[in-house]
Amino acid sequence: MGCMPACKFKPLNNKRKNQGVNNLYRDLREFLAKLEEEGQLVRYTDEILPEPDVRHICRASGDMPNGPAVLMNNIKGYKGKRLVVNVHGSWANHALSFGMDKDTSPKEQFHELCNRWDNYPGEVKFVDNAPCQEVVIKDDINLFDLLPLYRINPYDGGYYFGKGNVISQDPDEPDNLDKENVGIYRMQVQGKDIIGMQALAFHDISIQLAKVEAENKPLPVAIALGVDPVLSFIASTPIYYDQSEYKFAAALNGIPQELTKAVTSNINVPAGAEFVLEGEIIPRQRFPEGPFGEFPGSYSGIRKQVRIKVKAITHRKDPIFENLYIGRPWTEADFLLGLNTCVPLYRQLKETMPEVEAVNALYQHGLTAIIATGNRFGGYAKSVAMRVASTPHGISYCKNIILVDDDVDPFDLMQVMWALSTRVRADKDVIVIPHTPGMPLDPASEPPGMGNKLIIDATSPAPPDSVMREVRMVDRMPQALEVEKIIAELQKSAGK
Amino acid sequence: MKCARCLEDTAAKVADAPDGSGAWEIYLCSRCNYSWRTTEEEEVINPEKRDPYFTLDGVDMDDLMVLVPVPPLKK
Repeated sequence: MGCMPACKFKPLNNKRKNQGVNNLYRDLREFLAKLEEEGQLVRYTDEILPEPDVRHICRASGDMPNGPAVLMNNIKGYKGKRLVVNVHGSWANHALSFGMDKDTSPKEQFHELCNRWDNYPGEVKFVDNAPCQEVVIKDDINLFDLLPLYRINPYDGGYYFGKGNVISQDPDEPDNLDKENVGIYRMQVQGKDIIGMQALAFHDISIQLAKVEAENKPLPVAIALGVDPVLSFIASTPIYYDQSEYKFAAALNGIPQELTKAVTSNINVPAGAEFVLEGEIIPRQRFPEGPFGEFPGSYSGIRKQVRIKVKAITHRKDPIFENLYIGRPWTEADFLLGLNTCVPLYRQLKETMPEVEAVNALYQHGLTAIIATGNRFGGYAKSVAMRVASTPHGISYCKNIILVDDDVDPFDLMQVMWALSTRVRADKDVIVIPHTPGMPLDPASEPPGMGNKLIIDATSPAPPDSVMREVRMVDRMPQALEVEKIIAELQKSAGK
Repeated sequence: MKCARCLEDTAAKVADAPDGSGAWEIYLCSRCNYSWRTTEEEEVINPEKRDPYFTLDGVDMDDLMVLVPVPPLKK
């Protein structure tokens, strides 16, 4: 099925469609070079402390309009080690990661990604002498020595990886690449060669972990730090269990994903990663982990979680440690988890509900989602809400679901508020479904993991529903688009 | 060494500044897994100044919630 058979919000002209899809980045370094060329990467060379200076730099770069990535190389005590943050931390950087112009709006990026989704699966390519294995460390591992660690938020329980790509295989089908999972899960360094990890029940890796724990066996894993930006994007995208993140990254990138075998296991790792930490999850044991300043903007609790024993570290020469800031929104995490939440939800709805035009689930990984849909018959939009609430991601995340008509742009909050203001009949259009799954990190989820669904149907009623008293809408004015260009030109020369 | 968070005598040094500058040391608690650097802000590493909400004084680690339970062993 085509992605956008009748989309009214398809502003991309031919010039912009699939722009740059065949000229993307094999690894983090290639992308950083592009960011620098575009003025979207700065080098911070003054001496700074790991705490609190790095935190302030992260916060500042993410808060700035079109904030740049920041590469640091003069962190006190870590002299010579390199750290980069905010790589995805603006819509400009996000657009560049997909080869789009840096002024491409989130809505335009959404539609472009919807188009590229049809390219799945892309190709993978195995390479020898991979850059990520230029240096191999198997003895005297000390993560506190090797990486320029820092405390992301003041009351985090330790030093965290916020952007580590965890790779693991299905124990029943270790050679099935489609079931090899790449996911970004938060990780806390808990010892020289020990890492705590949060893997929640609905995460794909938990399916694999449950299988080996039932047999009291460890689960081999590899953690890739500093990978090409599209792989980080897809590793935090809620795709299906048997869809390969590597093949998806290749599909969106337009170039094969280059892989190599880990040095201590059968796992396939990104050949161009800056660091790869190889190890295994210790079976049937849980250890204190947290708190951690999380994406809802609040600290998580301290829970007992799984632990990884690191057995080997491989890295590139002069490696760059990539991390992100996460905390009170908006942060780099919100940019990274924005469109990669919207697109799969849209695609999954579209499979059975072609009336759906666009999904804006940019808000905290989709805790709030706004869906534009045709209202095929009375109550139909509410069925769309129930469908999004039963998608793999929506089950736990999508709790505030707003439906708007297909002539409303869900990415334009002024239009959304107009729809709420003029089309909601509270007695008929506001529904709360209690005692549903919830997202445990959401402070409103009580007990953690439970929640409810709020549906606000702001679409116009359709028969056989009683239609509102007869009104005529003021028509759209497409002619004004051309006039906008004329006025924009006039404005450029105004005031000179 | 006393842990800055759980206040038990279960912490030990795990690293010096790797560039040899002696700029700081990192300590780690083997009980609650808290780690800290000697150059961090007082309100983070000094138990006297730390927000009590973020201390673990008197908390039994066995009482912490397990988010993903261990499955039963296959026979």
